[in-house]
Amino acid sequence: MDKQLLSMLVCPLCQGKLKYDQEQQELLCTFDGLAFPIRDGVPVMLEGEARRMSEEEKLDKAQA
Amino acid sequence: MSEEKTTHFGYKTVAAEQKQAMVADVFHSVAAKYDLMNDLMSFGVHRLWKRFTIDMSGVRPGDSVLDLAGGTGDLTKKFSKVVGPKGRVVLADINSSMLNVGRDRLTDQGYVGNIEYVQANAECLPFEDNSFDVITMAFGLRNVTDKDAALRSMARVLKPGGRLLVLEFSKPTNPLMSKAYDIYSFTALPFMGKLVTNDADSYQYLAESIRMHPDQETLKGMMEDAGLVRCSYHNLTSGVVALHRGVKP
Repeated sequence: MDKQLLSMLVCPLCQGKLKYDQEQQELLCTFDGLAFPIRDGVPVMLEGEARRMSEEEKLDKAQA
Repeated sequence: MSEEKTTHFGYKTVAAEQKQAMVADVFHSVAAKYDLMNDLMSFGVHRLWKRFTIDMSGVRPGDSVLDLAGGTGDLTKKFSKVVGPKGRVVLADINSSMLNVGRDRLTDQGYVGNIEYVQANAECLPFEDNSFDVITMAFGLRNVTDKDAALRSMARVLKPGGRLLVLEFSKPTNPLMSKAYDIYSFTALPFMGKLVTNDADSYQYLAESIRMHPDQETLKGMMEDAGLVRCSYHNLTSGVVALHRGVKP
């Protein structure tokens, strides 16, 4: 995904910074525990489309 | 006391959380023929309304622009040329079908380099505060469930001095025009919709949703409530459409 675009995006709920998971093609908000999918290079920043992260994953990703 | 929150879907009253999905169905259904329908329905005049919007935006080379509910990319295309290689245009839409049609069309026509695509909800925009010099929303606000939240969110991501432009159907100012427009939109529009997209319901929704949308003065007040200043509007085609403009202080 485009670096410039990545630097502009924040979580739509808390406006916090996002982590880019290149392998899974997801943008992660560890605060809200949401993983926003990137489909065909287009970030899908909708709560209803986001995957909910488990508690362990949240902690794990928060430290990474 | 807990009352279920409701909103309008055209003339129907629906639960607030239902509206988003119902609007999504409308646009998934019409995306492929959206541009053709706009030309037919407005006799091509939507192109002039959009050109006027660009003129009023005061956009300059190097600017950051958000084209919200930008759908098939009409405004993005023009903005992309003006902002140039140092600028950036983000085309955002809540609907994946509309966004895909827009991206394919712009890419095919060679518009690449300074355009980004994001699927986003206007009520909770996924951008940092103070990100954009210009935000446009053309024929999108009508379909948003919580319009006040959307206007606040747009104000938040505008830079100080940045301009919001809302192009939307409004209330005709001339009674004769109003009558003709009523007859046209409740008979001709659904008929054309049926012919071209085989979906009369979506265009019945369009006609109804236009009537339910806040009029010129109401929308201006909503923009002021969202924290924008120097809010004003221009009636276009006798108020069939209005362009509202506000500035972030």
